[in-house]
Amino acid sequence: MNSNKKIAGSLSPVGLRLKDNRQIQFNPAVLETRYATDLIIDISGTELQIRRGKNNEFYIPLAEEEFLKTMPSFSEKGFVLLILFCVQDFEENPGFTLFYIFRMNGFTDVFAFMRHVGTETTSVAALFPSACWYEREIRDGFGIEFTDAFDKRRLFLHEAYPGGLHPLLKSFKNGKIQAIQNPEEAYPFKQVEGEGVYQIPVGPVHAGIIEPGHFRFSVIGESIFNLEIRLFYKHRGIEKLAERKTPSACLLIAEAISGDETVANAVAFCTAVEKIAGIEVPPRASYLRGILLELERIYSHMGDLSGMITDIGFPRMTTPFLILRENIFRQNEYLTGSRFMRGAIDLGGVKKEISGEVLSKLSLYLKKFVPQFESAIAAVHTSSSLIDRFSTTGVLKKKLIAPLNLTGPIARAAGVPYDVRLCHPYGIYKYVSPKIDAKTAADVLSRFEVKAAEVLNSASFIQKLISSIPDGAIIAETTGFAISNIPDGYALSMVEAARGQNLHWIYIRSGVIDRYKVRTASFCNWQAIEHAVLGNIVPDFPLINKSLNLSYAGTDL
Amino acid sequence: MVNPLTYVFRSKVVEKFEFSDAELEALGSELKMEVNKVFGHSLAIRELDSGSDNSTEIEISNLGTPHYDVERFGISFVASPRHADVLLVTGAVTLNMVEAVLKTYEAMPFPKFVVAVGDDACDGGIYKGSYAVLGGVDKILPVDIKIPGNPPSPKEILRGIFALVKKASG
Repeated sequence: MNSNKKIAGSLSPVGLRLKDNRQIQFNPAVLETRYATDLIIDISGTELQIRRGKNNEFYIPLAEEEFLKTMPSFSEKGFVLLILFCVQDFEENPGFTLFYIFRMNGFTDVFAFMRHVGTETTSVAALFPSACWYEREIRDGFGIEFTDAFDKRRLFLHEAYPGGLHPLLKSFKNGKIQAIQNPEEAYPFKQVEGEGVYQIPVGPVHAGIIEPGHFRFSVIGESIFNLEIRLFYKHRGIEKLAERKTPSACLLIAEAISGDETVANAVAFCTAVEKIAGIEVPPRASYLRGILLELERIYSHMGDLSGMITDIGFPRMTTPFLILRENIFRQNEYLTGSRFMRGAIDLGGVKKEISGEVLSKLSLYLKKFVPQFESAIAAVHTSSSLIDRFSTTGVLKKKLIAPLNLTGPIARAAGVPYDVRLCHPYGIYKYVSPKIDAKTAADVLSRFEVKAAEVLNSASFIQKLISSIPDGAIIAETTGFAISNIPDGYALSMVEAARGQNLHWIYIRSGVIDRYKVRTASFCNWQAIEHAVLGNIVPDFPLINKSLNLSYAGTDL
Repeated sequence: MVNPLTYVFRSKVVEKFEFSDAELEALGSELKMEVNKVFGHSLAIRELDSGSDNSTEIEISNLGTPHYDVERFGISFVASPRHADVLLVTGAVTLNMVEAVLKTYEAMPFPKFVVAVGDDACDGGIYKGSYAVLGGVDKILPVDIKIPGNPPSPKEILRGIFALVKKASG
């Protein structure tokens, strides 16, 4: 605690400025949390049992009747459904517990409503559209039927999986299963019929060096009338693999969720475990984590920026971005020994010291990087044909952001300045706040500009951290002891990865992981593409897709 | 009104790019000689992701960026398996991808080669034992060369391709 106060003293605290100039404190004050929980009590109309979780999230068990009564008003009040997942045999409750985790605009806290269900229950997808995929996911994983759901197709289990197989059930032992050879039934895509309507099926194997997924376009002339995506080709069984693993062994799995979100997911995983074990990360380690997180954002955004230009067939304009990006990869390797910063984050801090000398070299490099990057961006702005292709293409309506829980640069480009680093600060972001840029046009051009601004903001944020990083331990001394004596418990942690809000929920029992639920930003953001492409021409699809930058691996798990 | 002739006579737009990696250049020129000999000046590669974590894809596409620019060495990444000599497969082969992997391989003309890129493609890596993967590309395709790494760097991938070309010639 003391060590953290020291950083807090040297830097000004951050807050999120609201419209009426009310300042929300980064440390949730008692009064404000009271207000939020009061609101929930008001809505539900009963005295609720509210438990505070290990990472300041709230858990509220709701009886079925209360749940059904209150969900419509939660939806009306603008609660955003962050995630819905299932845990089997949670604490003393045999059977299934569904966790509905919400946030409300303006509050740093998140609320998990716990609903105890049998093998049949009701859907909330009509109230919270983002629940649709979660419910299908739970049905595949646990065999729970959502009787009134409007979409009951399987999600991550494709035709090769036999019916009746539910791999996340405790009774299912991980291992080889008898896959169905030459399955007969085909996945029922939504059919659009009418004069001049035709379908274009694309994937799962695409023409470029990219990940697999299927897109089914219904097209009239050249414009896209409907798009349906089918993913989960890369389903690797990550959540099942984590079961019964020790936290240290599971860190490797967290890093492999999505390659270019290695640091973000490692930090999210470690934060949740640290909260459960009661480990305080030393200040120097928090700073180093911050530097690596922002480096990851830089190289990830650089890939998008060059990718968007590639997708309109303008390769010369991409080269400066690609050159700079490779240099960042080399900086990553210089700092951590891995181009993707694999193995850099560890429980309790970071694995290896990054010396002051190495950091000052990074700082020197970034001083060179910034003007080069700025001139590459300036060049982009001189090309009228490029602006013409980017502008007004792939518009994402702002009203979709909250119902689908769209986050990251795509939300900030649509006028929603939500950022986990500011709205639910963690690690170093509790003490130093990054600058946030938002645009409102919500087209490809705004996404390009938001990402370009974020690269520069991250670079200056890294400089700020390097100039003020304290000396000291890079890993909490008590880590080894705390992990080997980790108490039973659960915690939620969120990070702002390059693509948006990544959410990890970990439940530890008898020193091993009982349930590890991961939801990367891409899982939600993928659903944006079905809306953003409507009315656009098919040749703009790759461009819109790239501007949304969605990870297949991070979605399919 | 701008005189259009000024566009013709003005100095050409070129990127200043000071970078040289002697090791890469040496490997590249050796590779180019072999490609010229064995594959008639052009080696066509099709990349296929059978369930990787996407870092291997990023490193493979980095081969085409200015630091590496492997097209100089006679290597090109093609859009269709029907144009490919070599299939670069990443990932531990998920059950959901088995059919697509087999179809992609079948679509390639003979002679054809398969390279497994990354630890998970080599033997399943950390996904070994998961219900959702077969565990290594060699479970369903004849693999000629394995390039381990988590993920392998662009240079390591290039070395692997060189080893394959050598093998194909012998």
